[in-house]
Amino acid sequence: MRSSIGSVTSFVMVLLLTGCTQSPVPGAPIGQSPGVRIPVGPIPGPGNNLTSLPQNPYEGDQVAMVEGRRLFVWYNCYGCHGGHGGGGMGPSLRDPVWRYGGDPAHVFASIAEGRGQGMPAWGTKIPQDQIWKLVTYIKSMRTPQEPDTPLLAPQPPVTHPYATQQQTKPPSHGAYGGATEQAGGGQP
Amino acid sequence: MTRRCNGLWLLMVMMGLAYSAVGAQQKQNQSNGDLTVPGQSPNIKLVSPVPNGEWTLPAGDYANTRYSPLTEINTQNVKNLRVVGTLQTGIAHGHEGQPLVVNNTMYIVTPFPNDLIALDLTKPGFPMKWKYEPRPDPMSQGVACCDTVNRGASYADGKIFYVCLDNTAVAVDANSGQEVWRTSVGDIHLGETTTMAPLVVKNVLIIGNSGGELGVRGKVTALDIKTGKLVWRAYSTGPDSDVLIGSDFHPFYAKDQGKDLGEKTWPPDAWKLGGGTVWGWISYDPESDLIFYSTGNPGPWNPDVRPGDNKWTITLWARHPENGQAKWAYQILPHDYWDYDEVMENTLVDMNWQGKMRRLILHAGRNGFMMVIDRETGELLSADTFGIPVNWASKYDLKTGLPQEDPSKQPHTGITARQICPSSTGAREVLPAAFSPVTGYLYIPAHNTCMDHEAITANYIAGTPYLGSSTNMYPGPGGYQGDLIAWDVANARKVWDIKDPLLPVYSGVLATGGGLVFYGTLEGYFRAVDAKTGAVLWQFQTGSGIVGNPMTFKGPDGRQYIAIYSGVGGWMGAVAQSDFSTDDEYAGLGVAGAMKNIKKVTAPGDMVYVFGL
Repeated sequence: MRSSIGSVTSFVMVLLLTGCTQSPVPGAPIGQSPGVRIPVGPIPGPGNNLTSLPQNPYEGDQVAMVEGRRLFVWYNCYGCHGGHGGGGMGPSLRDPVWRYGGDPAHVFASIAEGRGQGMPAWGTKIPQDQIWKLVTYIKSMRTPQEPDTPLLAPQPPVTHPYATQQQTKPPSHGAYGGATEQAGGGQP
Repeated sequence: MTRRCNGLWLLMVMMGLAYSAVGAQQKQNQSNGDLTVPGQSPNIKLVSPVPNGEWTLPAGDYANTRYSPLTEINTQNVKNLRVVGTLQTGIAHGHEGQPLVVNNTMYIVTPFPNDLIALDLTKPGFPMKWKYEPRPDPMSQGVACCDTVNRGASYADGKIFYVCLDNTAVAVDANSGQEVWRTSVGDIHLGETTTMAPLVVKNVLIIGNSGGELGVRGKVTALDIKTGKLVWRAYSTGPDSDVLIGSDFHPFYAKDQGKDLGEKTWPPDAWKLGGGTVWGWISYDPESDLIFYSTGNPGPWNPDVRPGDNKWTITLWARHPENGQAKWAYQILPHDYWDYDEVMENTLVDMNWQGKMRRLILHAGRNGFMMVIDRETGELLSADTFGIPVNWASKYDLKTGLPQEDPSKQPHTGITARQICPSSTGAREVLPAAFSPVTGYLYIPAHNTCMDHEAITANYIAGTPYLGSSTNMYPGPGGYQGDLIAWDVANARKVWDIKDPLLPVYSGVLATGGGLVFYGTLEGYFRAVDAKTGAVLWQFQTGSGIVGNPMTFKGPDGRQYIAIYSGVGGWMGAVAQSDFSTDDEYAGLGVAGAMKNIKKVTAPGDMVYVFGL
């Protein structure tokens, strides 16, 4: 008796603690809390799609995109992922290739949890709200809504470099290695 | 003979005696004490020539000349050079560095995960003897600024020494492949990594760190080669006690003299995040028993948050190898605005300089200036631009050792300085030049890239980039982006060059006694060039851009071979890798703008090539 109350209580506690935005993943065995909130890989069994991922509360929100851009610079994301997300120490966020899933919920999870090849676990430091704004900015890249797009106009040609200043006087005896007598030269 | 020649003859005899005495003392890899090479100019003396046939140090020799006296492959027969061996490492990242060859075995350190592969050169096809897998922490990949490269190992005392990306220094028995010791010398959680090739000098392994873009404090660590225990550590910033400045320290220039300058030339505590990392090459002069290396950029890139000279970033050091104590220092660029790291090799050569024999350091700078320095004192003897457009400064004042900078090329917070030449990647990068004592030329792998650079707010979060900069790069003027430059050192002039219209020359260089210079292009061509004239005598398309350093050795059969890695990467080359998008010109710390074409001409590779006749 006590043990089943205990397991029901802990089941309810786990449900409460795992957050209000989460929906149960389809296919989880009855009576057990799933180990994951945002699955990235395929769900075992035929025909299961990831239909119940958490939604981005700022989906399509232009203000959130701009705010996300600000946070992208503020938290040094630009230093690893490139000034406008084109890549660097970390992979490009502009291209359609996503190592850990490209759905907004997956991008959220990667930022929040960090990843094993060096992506920091920002969810331990910054609020969920800011992570969703970062997601909103990242998903706006290469769309007409992207704030502060990278420079794409052709550069003017570079002009007026300084002329080479020859500061060193060539030795008056001419280049070494020649057969002529030189001060300081000479074999035994 | 004139009286003057008599005196000099006496001096040369005395130096020869001194050298043979030193040669007898050295219990180093340099087993032959012969310090002359056939055909060398009489006015040039090598400090530590490569023992014929082997390659036991990253640069081959202690002096970083990357010159081999081997003559079998020469200007006449190099057209017959062909592939005699290949190995694929299976890692599609930048293959910087070079193999070692010792005791008829070739040793290769791969990019992360930094495996050590030993190949048996006595058997056809060079089969693998063993592979040592140190398994460094994969999270180190996320704090490696410029691809997960490794620049190689040193051999001494029966062991191969190198450092993994996650700062684990390892010593591996060269016969068995068993690990002898491992020691951690840095912390990836502070953004610190290691990519450089450490140098063994007598009993110590000397290691520098990386991370100038992540607020890492630069340092050099010396470990005991037998036990891996810490012997000394010299920081690049902070008080004299941390920087190992003591009573024996005599900088040449007034600007570098004073107490605790590594602290005073920064806002309070800023030196703790100050950069000055040491991710390039170390040289050693056995005669004066001094090591030479130079440090990287100050952190953050935003110059306005770190007023002051920011010592000892971008500084050339002379130190005693057994205890790290500084002998002299010359800060090449105080209060950098442009990320002009000067970790490039410091090539040690004794030569006739404007009428007398002097002990020199040749340093073709990231900043575009060919610096010739007296290695006994740290005096700057000359600094001419070496043939790449330069406009951040017009010249160096030799009396003060200071550059004369153009304020319009200095970025500030919220102010973009435009068309700065060279870009942060420099007129050349860490890929090393070679020096030939026969021609007296320094062969420089150069870039022609310029940039716009704006400083923005820098926010320090440990383990993340500490930059404060928005940078985009693009090709410089003149219609070319790369250049292999032959620089006549004594006459301070460019003799010949080979321009690459499309891409920087991003490989190391090798000079040989056969009168050849070897280098590679980012398109993947491995080339042999006549060292005197610059004529391209042979080339081979290796399949991927070359960012490694060619080396040469004598095989078990007594024949000469040349080896090179082919696998594009490194700071600029990594734009060719799949996870870079070139529609963001600011990506990769700004290099994506300059490297837009690279994906069209090359793709990642992972080959080790051995060539022979």
